[in-house]
Amino acid sequence: MELERIVKRYYEGLEEGKIWGRRCLECGAIEFPPHYACNTCGYHATEWVELSGHGWLKTVILPAPTTADNRLSPQGPYGFGEVELDEGVTSNFVIYGLTPKKRRILRERIANGEKIGVHKKLVDLGGYKGFHFELDEEVK
Amino acid sequence: MTHSKIGKYLRSVSIFGVGATPFMDINGDPEHEGLTEGEVYGCAALSAMEDAGIEPRDVQFFYHGSANPAFFNYCVTPNMQVAEWMGMRGRGSVHHSEACCTGYVALEEAVLAVASGAYDIVLSGGAEMATGLPDGMKPACFRRQITTDDIYPDLVKIGDRAYARSIIGGTSVGSDNWLDLYVRTYGLTDREIDDTLITMAYHGRRAAALNPRALLRTPFEQVAKDNGYDDPMEYLRSPFNPKVSQYLRVTGNAPAADGAACFIVAPTEMAWKFKTKPIEVLGIGASCLDFSVPQLEKTATAEATRQVYEMTGVKPEEIDLLFINDFMIGSQLLAAEEVGYLPRGEGWKYVLEGRTAFDGDKPINTNGGRTSYGHAFGASGAADIFEAVTQMRGEAGVRQVKKLPKTTFIRGFGGGQNVRAIILRTVD
Repeated sequence: MELERIVKRYYEGLEEGKIWGRRCLECGAIEFPPHYACNTCGYHATEWVELSGHGWLKTVILPAPTTADNRLSPQGPYGFGEVELDEGVTSNFVIYGLTPKKRRILRERIANGEKIGVHKKLVDLGGYKGFHFELDEEVK
Repeated sequence: MTHSKIGKYLRSVSIFGVGATPFMDINGDPEHEGLTEGEVYGCAALSAMEDAGIEPRDVQFFYHGSANPAFFNYCVTPNMQVAEWMGMRGRGSVHHSEACCTGYVALEEAVLAVASGAYDIVLSGGAEMATGLPDGMKPACFRRQITTDDIYPDLVKIGDRAYARSIIGGTSVGSDNWLDLYVRTYGLTDREIDDTLITMAYHGRRAAALNPRALLRTPFEQVAKDNGYDDPMEYLRSPFNPKVSQYLRVTGNAPAADGAACFIVAPTEMAWKFKTKPIEVLGIGASCLDFSVPQLEKTATAEATRQVYEMTGVKPEEIDLLFINDFMIGSQLLAAEEVGYLPRGEGWKYVLEGRTAFDGDKPINTNGGRTSYGHAFGASGAADIFEAVTQMRGEAGVRQVKKLPKTTFIRGFGGGQNVRAIILRTVD
């Protein structure tokens, strides 16, 4: 087992506009965010893989007093949601461009089986970048 | 994620003593202001020993839980700092912190210590002084009132520091995403989900009003009247009770409290020799997930529940009484369905019909629940266990549920990550 700076490389990747994940050497599942081992099958070894930074929005939640993050508001309206990355792994993310009206429209479209594309938006959070998303399309 | 299976305990373990302080807000309270963590934990511990009919010298080992002792109590290894309050100087002990799940993990640790054969009589529980913070370097009885400016930055600590805090932002979706999934899946209107959430708060307050240990005891009928409303539900829907997240109103969030609760466990065959009716801990399932995992509370609850049902052989229809750590009140409904206590997609109707109230046929959180009983973070789970044992003994007085519970399910949750699924059963 090699001692490796996984977290540091992930954040260095964001500075270069790249999204790094890991791929399980046994089951092939993508491990994101990147860790040493596979959390899908429990195998001990993974390898680096660059991710597309694109995915599909599955849920939409707007911020409120108990969930707001002041670091994000300078980027404009934002919210939260589950995103399934093109590579198949799902996680919670910050999503920019969400408003109450757009939430209503998007929830309805998602409920109707439409796929809502999102792409990476790398945001300066004060000395490092955050991997967030924004909508592929202008929702009206 | 991967899945676990739990083996049988090497010997049966039962709770045979419980003790608890009230959940308080000591700020400005002439009777309680100045209380310290050692005093509240010591009081709960000695009350549990009194209940069991034993003395401190009989307890071989103890666990001490608090959600965040460095923040709330300006100390590390607080187990050593409370030991002398209960005559246990020099005894072996462990401190642990699992945020709001601490009090449930407290039972798991004690049970495993006895089930293994290492100890026969073990004390465990939790304490938190959560309405204030230490006042600099002054002694423990000097505290200042906590504010949201203190607590919100601290909440971020429960998310993974390597990645989650930069990926999901703040505390992210909280409980809203599971509620959102429920509403979408079962087609509830905005009014239906809102009424369901405030009805749970309403019935929690009805129970708390009858519970001398609860923090908020004024019935909503009175609160409504004081604010110019004849109907408590109209008050609960009003701007006096605004939304603080996508779905939750103020009354759907738990108020912080100061307090402690403890219990004592022993091998069941030994527990019979003491003065109370033993309550056996049949099993405890466990699952932990980080904030960044979608639907983490639902997923972890399902996993821990599967484990404990498989281990014990208990069926959901055998559950007489349910406790859900509902510091965000949606958890009460959602987890009740996830553990099989209420039918999927139908639980909200049970709530609206009053069936999940303490005097209903599917009682949940008979102590008032977090939103009325209060939330002394690391102590809350232990307070639920205190109430469960009280109900199972038939000692809850005016709050006693209609059918004496033989089997109780307790779903602990906290820190965004930790879940425990506990099944208790009265020993015949």
